[in-house]
Amino acid sequence: MKEVGYKFDVIVVGAGPAGSAAAYTLAKKGFKVLLVERGRVPGSKNVFGGRVYADPVGEVFDGLDGAPIHRWVTRERISLVSGGEMSSFEFRGSKRTSFTTYLTELAGWMARKVEEAGGVVLTEITVDGLVVEGGRVTGIRVGDERLTSDVVIDAEGINRLLLERAGLVPKLSVRHTGLGVKEVIKLQRDRLEDLFGLEGDEGMAWLMLGDVTDGLPGGAFLYTNRDSVSLGLVIALGDAVKEVGRHVSRYVEALRLHPLLRRYLRDGRIMEYSAHLVPEYTWPDLPHLLYTDGLLVAGDAAGLLLNLGYNFRGVDFAAYSGYLAARAVERAHEMGGMTSENLAIYRDLLEESFVLRQLRKFRRAPRMRENRRLYGAYPGLVNAIMDQLFNSPYETPKVMEALRRAREGRIGWLEMVRDLLEMVRSV
Amino acid sequence: MLRIVVGIKWVPNTTSVNIDPKTGTLIREGIPSVVNPHDLEAVEMALRLRDEYGGRVTAITMSPPSARAGLEHVLGMGVDDAVLVSDRAFAGADTLATSYVLAKVIERLGYDLIVFGQETIDSSTAHVGAQVASWLDIPYVYYVTHARLEGGRLIVRRSLENVRETYELELPALISVAMHTLHPRRVRLSHKLRAKLESPIETWTNRELGLEPDCIGLKGSPTALSKIEMIPKVPRKNEIFRGDPREAAKWLVDKLIEEGLLEV
Amino acid sequence: MMKPMRVDDILNNNVWDVDYEPHIRVDSSKCRECDEKPCLLLCPAQCYTLAGEEVLFSYEGCVECGTCRLVCPNDAVTWNYPVSGRGIHFRFS
Ligand SMILES: Cc1cc2nc3c(=O)[nH]c(=O)nc-3n(C[C@H](O)[C@H](O)[C@H](O)COP(=O)(O)OP(=O)(O)OC[C@H]3O[C@@H](n4cnc5c(N)ncnc54)[C@H](O)[C@@H]3O)c2cc1C
Ligand SMILES: Cc1cc2nc3c(=O)[nH]c(=O)nc-3n(C[C@H](O)[C@H](O)[C@H](O)COP(=O)(O)OP(=O)(O)OC[C@H]3O[C@@H](n4cnc5c(N)ncnc54)[C@H](O)[C@@H]3O)c2cc1C
Ligand code: SF4
Ligand code: SF4
Repeated sequence: MKEVGYKFDVIVVGAGPAGSAAAYTLAKKGFKVLLVERGRVPGSKNVFGGRVYADPVGEVFDGLDGAPIHRWVTRERISLVSGGEMSSFEFRGSKRTSFTTYLTELAGWMARKVEEAGGVVLTEITVDGLVVEGGRVTGIRVGDERLTSDVVIDAEGINRLLLERAGLVPKLSVRHTGLGVKEVIKLQRDRLEDLFGLEGDEGMAWLMLGDVTDGLPGGAFLYTNRDSVSLGLVIALGDAVKEVGRHVSRYVEALRLHPLLRRYLRDGRIMEYSAHLVPEYTWPDLPHLLYTDGLLVAGDAAGLLLNLGYNFRGVDFAAYSGYLAARAVERAHEMGGMTSENLAIYRDLLEESFVLRQLRKFRRAPRMRENRRLYGAYPGLVNAIMDQLFNSPYETPKVMEALRRAREGRIGWLEMVRDLLEMVRSV
Repeated sequence: MLRIVVGIKWVPNTTSVNIDPKTGTLIREGIPSVVNPHDLEAVEMALRLRDEYGGRVTAITMSPPSARAGLEHVLGMGVDDAVLVSDRAFAGADTLATSYVLAKVIERLGYDLIVFGQETIDSSTAHVGAQVASWLDIPYVYYVTHARLEGGRLIVRRSLENVRETYELELPALISVAMHTLHPRRVRLSHKLRAKLESPIETWTNRELGLEPDCIGLKGSPTALSKIEMIPKVPRKNEIFRGDPREAAKWLVDKLIEEGLLEV
Repeated sequence: MMKPMRVDDILNNNVWDVDYEPHIRVDSSKCRECDEKPCLLLCPAQCYTLAGEEVLFSYEGCVECGTCRLVCPNDAVTWNYPVSGRGIHFRFS
């Protein structure tokens, strides 16, 4: 292997939210930082659902000036779907807490911030491996060349090939992974605003549970962007492997053509079709590698993502973990080097921050999401109740009566109580 | 020491341009640009010659500033340095005005050999190579598949449909590389780093070049585009035959006859 | 938009710079022995198709998600990302 004749303090692998946040923070502090990205431009390989929580990202990048904010989410809609019926709960507020965007654009903005701060962003380079010498990560390998640094921050995303190849983590398992597939559909801007009842830069986040995933654990989403919607779903891969009934693209297509959705999308045109994996089980359900000698791991590669089934928090968690990894490097530098002992501060920083506090709080959520009744029995139940309450003019039932009737043949009382308790404890 | 200049064009990735089903027009929104793929083959040939005989490879492009990324790509492949020729005064150029500017740039750089791609994927006129050679009054061979140096002369080969021609050229000369003959090498970490850290890209405007306004840009472009016609997309029938290949062949022939595409 | 679309026609809206060598290789001898063939339905880009008994793999339309690497029960998939910035180029995701 040929040693490349440049030297960096820090090499960051992956210009996603985690990598750019780490590189930006360190470049700002005067470290010599190299951010390596395999895409032609930063963002060209990134895929997500559609919504970003603004404050954590703004905190990391010193504001959101120039960020590609499409719409501020002021409408939250959650729907339970069964057959051609749907019950929805909608919250309409005015706070500007989260916004919709394309991650492709947001990641591009983040990488520009890195360059402005003095970091070097190198695109079109696929890192092939970590260089490990005497149990210590000392750099990266690309083809027959290697580049050395004091520390490597691995922000390569969920597929974490580098960690696997270095033997630092086991192969990712389908049981711990979800598959997200999505279409971005172009709509006329004013038409979109009319259809979804949005004014100005207001936006909507719409989550759907029920038979939209054919009963597989998962859920569907629709986010309104400036002049498009992101429509897609996530299914648990462990279950899908055994039970998938049709090609995954057909699930998204069924959404697009769904009698309850198609009126929104009728005049649309598909702009892009994408897919990406998402961690289903995350810290602390599964132990993920956070650091070792000469290495820190941030974002999806470390499983630092909050997946509640009705809400994904990946981008802000990834960015914040990258930021904390950078702070850990800074501290380890003061303490005299990038040893595992010194880098252990990363874990403390994560524990103190919202990242691990939130993940701990919601640690039962992944198991709750395994409960199949969430995708079959309950949406059916709720819709049947609504149907009885509103569609029986001569024999309008009382609520409990409707529940009893709807419940029959669907689910037992005991199960229901148990599920309810579990739900209350989980989310 | 060979002084090689390679011309690359920064083009929309038209392999992916889609048609709006409603309006029938090209959807250009968000189409990223790439280095004209056939020019990467020209770069590959230039690099092979340099690696074999020593010398220096300079990439040039006449383009808006966004083409920097394309120059960084070929620098990543191992090109030594690059010139971005960029000025509003050059905008609206047809192939004549384009080749005039490129010829002047190359003249200024100094050269033994100029290597171009066969044609571009966005206009595919294949004019520019021949025109540059005419401006510089040097030999030009198109459609080259092999090149080597022997006793100070360039031996090039081109394969036509049923003949293979070999030419011996006095340098300086210009060659256009036949498309689909070479696999362009991958970018390397060290080269990419150099491209980023040692600024091997110069930008030349018409201030450096001082070319006559009448010979460049729209003014220097005698070509007039009179009409563009879109060829309507033929609706596909998407019929699929499954089963025995023999049956399939027969089925296909019958279909083609039925459609009037084959006569027996 | 109101009619079902073929996966190919949906994928056609994407942009790739396809490499001349595949970044993923599939050991087709293992596919012959594979009963479940989950890749056929789970590869979102339908890169895995059935031609008679044979599983055909084509890398050109790959969206680089990594699903096939995980779902293949027989380790038939040697999986890599493309190099030199090639492969899928997302713009609106
Ligand atoms: C369907 C779906 C919906 C989601 N919805 C949301 C949502 O609405 N809101 C939200 O906040 N989060 C959401 N997420 C999660 C979110 O996308 C991720 O958590 C987040 O992108 C993780 O950021 P990251 O930087 O860790 O990884 P990534 O964004 O995956 O970035 C990793 C980067 O590393 C690069 N890379 C990988 N390997 C190499 C290599 N070997 N060499 C060089 N570069 C390499 C990649 O090209 C990529 O740019 C969703 C995820 C999915 C799949
Ligand atoms: C009437 C008319 C008006 C035009 N107006 C415009 C306009 O307003 N804006 C605009 O962008 N284009 C315009 N063009 C297109 C422009 O003239 C051509 O794109 C350009 O001259 C190259 O021609 P080509 O793409 O057919 O190259 P070819 O002749 O097919 O290219 C052969 C080889 O020449 C080299 N080469 C070609 N172009 C360049 C370059 N720019 N830099 C370095 N090397 C190169 C490459 O190696 C290439 O493989 C116009 C063309 C016409 C006919
Ligand atoms: S799952 Fe693996 S072994 Fe089975 S058909 Fe697909 S690639 Fe082949
Ligand atoms: S990586 Fe994803 S898109 Fe590519 S072949 Fe595998 S499953 Fe299909």
